[in-house]
Amino acid sequence: MAIGQPRNPLWLHAALISFTLLTIYPVLWVLALAFSGQQSVGIVDLPKDPTFLERLRGVIPWPAQFSVKNFVDVMTEQPFGRWLLNSVIVSLLTTVLGVFLACTAAYAFSRFRFPGRDQGMLAFLVSQMFPGTLMLIPLFIIIVKWLGLGNTFWGLVIVYATTAIPFCVWMLKGYFDTIRIDIEESARIDGASPQTIFFRIILPLAKPAIAITALFSFMTAWNEFILASVFMEAESKYTAPVGLRFFVGGFTSQWGFFAAGSVIVSLPVVILFMYLQKYLVSGLTAGSVK
Amino acid sequence: MDWIRRSASIGLGVALAAVLALSGWIYGGVSSDLSAQQRQREAVLLTNALASSLAGAPDAQVVGERVAQWKREQASIESATVIAGRELLASTRAQDQAPRNLQREEKPLFDMAGELRSAMETNVGEGAVRKKTIHIDDPRDGPITVSVPYVVDGKVEGMVQARVRPGPHAVGAAGGWGLPLGLLAAAFAIGAVLRVSPHRRFDVGRALAVVALLGLAIGFQQQRLGRMAEAMVASEAAISQIQASAAATYARTGAGATPAGAQSVWDTDAYGRPLGLVSPEGKPVPGADAALRDVHSAFVERSFWAITALGLGVLLFFVQGYAARTAAALRQNATAYAYVAPAMIGMLVLVFFPFFYGIALSFTDTTLFNENLPFRERWIGLGNFASILGDFNIVTRSAEGTVVNYQNFYWTLMVTVVWTITNVSVGVSFGFMLALALNTEGFRGKTIYRVLLILPWAIPNYITALTWRGMFHPQFGVINQVLQMFGFEPVRWFDGVVSSFMTGLVTNGWLSFPFMMVVILGALQSIPRDMYEAAEVEGASKWQQLRRITLPLLRPTLVPAVVLSVVWTFNMFNIIFLVSGGEPGGANEILVTKAYKIAFEQYQYAYAAAYSTVIFIILLVYGYFQTRVTRATESY
Repeated sequence: MAIGQPRNPLWLHAALISFTLLTIYPVLWVLALAFSGQQSVGIVDLPKDPTFLERLRGVIPWPAQFSVKNFVDVMTEQPFGRWLLNSVIVSLLTTVLGVFLACTAAYAFSRFRFPGRDQGMLAFLVSQMFPGTLMLIPLFIIIVKWLGLGNTFWGLVIVYATTAIPFCVWMLKGYFDTIRIDIEESARIDGASPQTIFFRIILPLAKPAIAITALFSFMTAWNEFILASVFMEAESKYTAPVGLRFFVGGFTSQWGFFAAGSVIVSLPVVILFMYLQKYLVSGLTAGSVK
Repeated sequence: MDWIRRSASIGLGVALAAVLALSGWIYGGVSSDLSAQQRQREAVLLTNALASSLAGAPDAQVVGERVAQWKREQASIESATVIAGRELLASTRAQDQAPRNLQREEKPLFDMAGELRSAMETNVGEGAVRKKTIHIDDPRDGPITVSVPYVVDGKVEGMVQARVRPGPHAVGAAGGWGLPLGLLAAAFAIGAVLRVSPHRRFDVGRALAVVALLGLAIGFQQQRLGRMAEAMVASEAAISQIQASAAATYARTGAGATPAGAQSVWDTDAYGRPLGLVSPEGKPVPGADAALRDVHSAFVERSFWAITALGLGVLLFFVQGYAARTAAALRQNATAYAYVAPAMIGMLVLVFFPFFYGIALSFTDTTLFNENLPFRERWIGLGNFASILGDFNIVTRSAEGTVVNYQNFYWTLMVTVVWTITNVSVGVSFGFMLALALNTEGFRGKTIYRVLLILPWAIPNYITALTWRGMFHPQFGVINQVLQMFGFEPVRWFDGVVSSFMTGLVTNGWLSFPFMMVVILGALQSIPRDMYEAAEVEGASKWQQLRRITLPLLRPTLVPAVVLSVVWTFNMFNIIFLVSGGEPGGANEILVTKAYKIAFEQYQYAYAAAYSTVIFIILLVYGYFQTRVTRATESY
């Protein structure tokens, strides 16, 4: 159906529009709850024996009255602001640490030939196959029981940073490989030390790749839920994902807070994702499409 | 070359230091265990003897006198109390003023007495030794509290509790630093005079270095083993002395003559089984304790051999020239290694070590409650794997009908496989249809559709999961509202196995189709238009074009995408955990969420580690076959 004259069959548009509506419905639902100013899981309060139309009203993702009360309350009355701040701190530290470790390692892998280089890169690749749950218990024992880093930012940060390293290293190494080596050689002839070359020449040249790597590290930490829920037991140390679950998991159901918090947490990620998706897709398909 | 000349000396030194440190560590651990055992043995012996002397006492006063006499004569007994029913019958503590009733805060004592009584009755009733009838509380650095049943005329009346501070025991004597330091000096000296050449196939210097290491290491270990044996004999002698002294005190309390073989009733383990040197007939026998000691010696000996082998490895690393080469490589590539080191160390500590530690953990029986025990005491070999993989108790048929055991591994595996297949099928089919639709040439509004349809991929998946959980809310959720709108009954989504599975499928389908759509769309756009035009000219139908052009050309993109998505779905923890939580009754748990629950809700760390290891093996097998299949399709 992909050929011939340009055409826009109506049925195709109808099908796509209805499917798209279905797809974005959950998003609209969350937005409606977030702006509804109340906590219940229904968008409007239904009478005892609702009619068809009343039910229809309850399904349409449009709040009964608009209010930003949930946003205000979740940030002021609830400790969500604190959790958000925790997430920001953890994610930023992860980004800085992860990018630093990945840059240095990737530079060495790209520019030096040394014994153990191939094995090291292979080891990074292999580590991606280790299943999360198998790592979870030992990590819990090491971080919480041995190192006593439960309920601290550093416990999460070092684990997030190291889990992000392999991907970042491979990505950055690929980019470093494309930077022509004669720039470095001429710098070396001018008497620049390896450190100078790395910090003054390579890093500035690799800015785009570093930006992508940094965003990847940030999103890894920002969206992570399991490790954070295992490591952070004290309510004041929750990260945003653990906090959002706290609103609606188990015994509480504060859907308004959840919805408002979700909007706050997702907005930056969704915007970043939309901005970056073309790189992501090209990266995924570049190797396979001929 | 300097390195090579010195490699015998450094190698011998480092290897021997490793051997000494590890051997000393093992020896120290075992001998401190033995020492604790001896201390407890002495405490139990004295408490048992004390308790047995009370059996014939006519009243509380006599009991009190006899207890007081024990305290006077046996210096290591700090205090002793006798509890019968709700009464504190006798006590050597001045503040107690026995006999009196137990106070409210002494309830734990009453409970413990009850526990000991029921343990004793269970053992007598079953004619077996299954429950501990002696309670030992050993803080290791203070007096040991031993509680034994207080038996009168064969009936358990209460409990005798004694705080005993045993004398110092010889086992576990550290052994001093003199010998190891001397041996180390000898190793360096011998190494310094040896000349090794790593390039020759056989080299006298190298052989001599190996012999020297073996001699020094084995010498040290034999000395330590000998010391351990001596200490055991010494402590055995100490125990028999205490027995004799206890027998004398027993006689003086007026309880009558020491019954023959009394010692074997006194010197027992926590189950009341005799440990010591004397049989009930009063004859010396090698008791259970001797066997226990053999276990310890055997463990120490085996460890020593393993350590020696390790030391030999270290030595060979040096004298074969590997160390010199490594050092040279390190020096030459110092910058490169410095750049790699931070990331590598992080990966070693937080990725590779945990991985192997997790696998090691799966061979133990570690739970929240015994994780402080030494590793060798938790080791159970393949037990966890046997109980995971060997349990085929999936379905039980009874009069009421068939019951599926949702906790069974194979049920969970089945659910996981069904979960993966259905999800990937849903993702691929929806993604494919949408991509085809959007790829229509000259189609207007493509960009806006694409942006909106990609939205589920962009939203963090735990938010997606919790959102759908809200929409599936049995009472107020919108999905049930829609059902009721059209006159259907509301569904209690999380109460049924199938409906609960559907919640996960819908949620995961929703968030996984955009990935497939985008990947397929990218591939479709890279198919040259003229192929279709040519096909059109040849008179091929749309269906033929799809079959003969689109699908074959999609394959190189689709296969890796499906492979990726299978692994993602197989490990999709968040959806199951946050949407249905595996309800009802764990029926919809997939392998990864099950492993999580075993670890963090049942605190069975080792079992969960074994579970995860099995998951890893399944993924490995999948990966192996998948690469073979992918290779096959690539050649297509």
